[in-house]
Amino acid sequence: MNQEHLLEVRNLTTAFRIQGNLFPAVRGIDLHLDRNETLALVGESGCGKSITALSIMRLIPQPPGEIVSGEVFMKGIDLLTLPEERMRKIRGNKMAMIFQEPMTSLNPVLTVGFQIMEALIYHQDVTNVKAKELAIEIMNQVKIPSASRRFKDYPHQFSGGQRQRVMIAMALACRPEIILADEPTTALDVTIQAQILYLLAELKREYSMAMIFITHNLGIVASIADRVAVMYGGEIVEVAPVGDLFEKPRHPYTEMLLRAVPRVDLNIEKLSYIPGQVPSIDRMPPGCHYAPRCDLRMELCDRQDADLVPLPGEPAHRVRCWIRGDSREIQDKP
Amino acid sequence: MSNVSTRFWNPLFARLWFVFNRNRISWIGVVLLLILVSLAVLAPVISPYNPVEQHVMDQFRGPSAKYWLGTDEYGRDLFTRIVWGARISLTVGTVSVILGMIIGSILGMYAGYKGGVRDEFIMRVMDVFMSIPTLLMGLFVVAVLGPSTMNLIIAIALTVVPRFARIARAPTVSIKERDYIEACRAMGFSDLRIMLVHVLPNILGDIMVMGSLWVATAVRIEASLSFIGLGVPPPTPTWGGMVREGFEKMLDSPGASIYPGIFILLTVFAFNLIGDGLRDVIDPRLRES
Amino acid sequence: MIKFVLNRFLLSIPTLLAILTIVFLIARVIPGDPASVILGDSASQEALENLRHRLGLDQSLIQQYIQFITGVFRGNLGDSLVSGTSVMREVLNVLPYTIDLTIAGVLIGIVFGVPLGILTALYRNSFLDFIARILSLIGLSFPAFYSAILLIIVFSLQLGWFPVISSGNLLDPVQRLHHLILPACNLGLIMVAYVTRATRSSMLDVLREDYMRTAKAKGIPGMVILFRHALRNALIPIITVIGLYIGVLVGNSVLTEIVFNRPGLGKLIIGALNQRDYTMLQGLMVVYSIIIVITNLITDLTYGFSDPRVKYS
Repeated sequence: MNQEHLLEVRNLTTAFRIQGNLFPAVRGIDLHLDRNETLALVGESGCGKSITALSIMRLIPQPPGEIVSGEVFMKGIDLLTLPEERMRKIRGNKMAMIFQEPMTSLNPVLTVGFQIMEALIYHQDVTNVKAKELAIEIMNQVKIPSASRRFKDYPHQFSGGQRQRVMIAMALACRPEIILADEPTTALDVTIQAQILYLLAELKREYSMAMIFITHNLGIVASIADRVAVMYGGEIVEVAPVGDLFEKPRHPYTEMLLRAVPRVDLNIEKLSYIPGQVPSIDRMPPGCHYAPRCDLRMELCDRQDADLVPLPGEPAHRVRCWIRGDSREIQDKP
Repeated sequence: MSNVSTRFWNPLFARLWFVFNRNRISWIGVVLLLILVSLAVLAPVISPYNPVEQHVMDQFRGPSAKYWLGTDEYGRDLFTRIVWGARISLTVGTVSVILGMIIGSILGMYAGYKGGVRDEFIMRVMDVFMSIPTLLMGLFVVAVLGPSTMNLIIAIALTVVPRFARIARAPTVSIKERDYIEACRAMGFSDLRIMLVHVLPNILGDIMVMGSLWVATAVRIEASLSFIGLGVPPPTPTWGGMVREGFEKMLDSPGASIYPGIFILLTVFAFNLIGDGLRDVIDPRLRES
Repeated sequence: MIKFVLNRFLLSIPTLLAILTIVFLIARVIPGDPASVILGDSASQEALENLRHRLGLDQSLIQQYIQFITGVFRGNLGDSLVSGTSVMREVLNVLPYTIDLTIAGVLIGIVFGVPLGILTALYRNSFLDFIARILSLIGLSFPAFYSAILLIIVFSLQLGWFPVISSGNLLDPVQRLHHLILPACNLGLIMVAYVTRATRSSMLDVLREDYMRTAKAKGIPGMVILFRHALRNALIPIITVIGLYIGVLVGNSVLTEIVFNRPGLGKLIIGALNQRDYTMLQGLMVVYSIIIVITNLITDLTYGFSDPRVKYS
């Protein structure tokens, strides 16, 4: 076991109660994050990426959500067993989150400046004057023009891209060690997306933070991530360093995902798509979650789910697949 | 026409039924209301006396086997008068709301369908009407027209009209923009026919829910106006009027004002319970799920 | 900001004019002759003509309308048919009592209704929520005159804590308050029901918002999130809703004043009704119209100041 990981998630399962029954939205999540590293969490919408991030922050709305099992170690401390008050002091301080919708994620009746300095007030022993100074400094760093003047403006007076800059400034105010970015550019125009991504990468380097970057956009993954975890139906199906994943994807789902990305460099006539859609959490197949959509599926796949296991000779590359990864003797299985 | 009605009635009632059933407590309202309605309908059968019959020897009696809820200052049987009073309260409450509902919906549909200056004018007038407190409006109208059952109904209907105009107008505006309405027009259907066949079924659900909510208010206003002395003139028993008479002689017999008041409260409460259960039907937030 | 206030003020004048017009039209256009209603069926033709002249009903409708509107803007509401004194003076005499009562009622409604609404929203679908829902539905169902009678029976007749007739000397604050408490509670308790429901539904909307999650992700203490982030947003629609309840409040204050035999606009209007004091009745409708327009203006301004998205210009 690696003590030196900054964040380590083990066997995390979060379930939602639908009409009295608990259905797991994410199941048996194992992942880790090192200092200065960017881990991309990739998958179609509804695959459990955001639920994973919210579970790590313990922000799952409860009820109907519930973290059923697992551990989330941050520098050796299990966050899931901490009392709420201690967890609060970690949120926004040691670990911060950037949300997808900058339009609705900012409070409309509080000034932007106040919302940025709020985290400083509750986490750091600073006076209001000092907090304001720091907030303006961060606003400058996220490149909000004439920050000191815009400090007193309200969110509705900002454009979408600028609101996302405000969100980033809020998250970074206390200089967290870990940042969880949940599709931070999805709601923005393409040109603005690139600016925000560049800004995030730059600040991450400057503050030497580690980042979990959630996206469904593989193009972004290639440019920002060190390692990639691919999720499907609430499970991680493949984890690999970014180069390995793009060059030799092993899981059939990852393969399809990569083939579905439009590429200019390969002169492919037809873009593929994955037939069907991610099953909803109350209709998860009993075996491999991807089996119903998989070209390679065998009888066993419908019956039992594979484990996430490293490839022979490649400890960093792990796959959850009976055919491509899990080499347990198939005959042994009932 | 039968095609239209099945297409529309089934989903509407299915939705009403579903939402209503989620609020189990609303069934208490239904039961209460059924009891009150049967009291009113069966008044001649179950009331032991004539509602205006005076028993000079038995003034201000407490509840007994002879007078179930006691008697008032003229020795009239309270239970009898309450049962007969239910007729007035329920009739005035529902008739005034139905009247206001019809006029308001027609105005709202007309305004929404025609649009432009007519829409603007009608809705402005409705807004102004709506800003006048319901009780004051009723009070003023009855004061000008003079107290009678009909005038009472007119006064209450007048305060209800703008609410229905509003609720009928909004969906009409959006339905009117749809392609099939455009097609109907191109095929030369008259405006009246389009409104009756295509617009009305779409807004009827909302209007009916709104109606049940407003009957509660209408019953309360009727009782209040009767209490003030602007209701159906005596000696016809009305709940509000009975509370008034009992209140003036409160020291002699508090029951004369307490008992009829309980029935007002129960009736309004029953309609509110039902309306509260149905309210979710017109709540757009819940409709999405 | 002054421009914003001025702008809203000017905008409310057409509304007032419209309400006044409707009051005027109801009084004149609706079939029925006020003179015969006032004097009764047995009145002689001569007496009717006389009264019509006194009321200005023999003039043309346009003339009557112009006289009515200019009168209102000069502060002249005519003279009482019964006592001959100016309607305006009678109104000003009793206005403090009505204002006391209404403000106290609204305060009680807010002080109890808002926290109760917050609690029921936080613990929605709990037992507390259920009880509060039933109680508030009962509150909404109470005719104000009946609740007033019950309060009198319990607190004045049985317990003897409060006087039955609630006027009190305006200049003696203790007496003024003592006479106010019971009627104010009557108005207030019904208000609590309305405010609780409004607060609950508004809070539920806000609690679902994305920015609530953002605030929690920032590690702000729960109480601070509740009051600074949730309540600040929830109050905006609550203000509007309370403004809308002015109609309920006015109606209930009339009934409350009658039952408690407390001087005020409501008492005045009932007196005018019983004595068929036609000018007094019409004048009071005007006064109520003005009160409603002013309340709407205050609601509008408060709304403007509490929501930064409303532009002041």
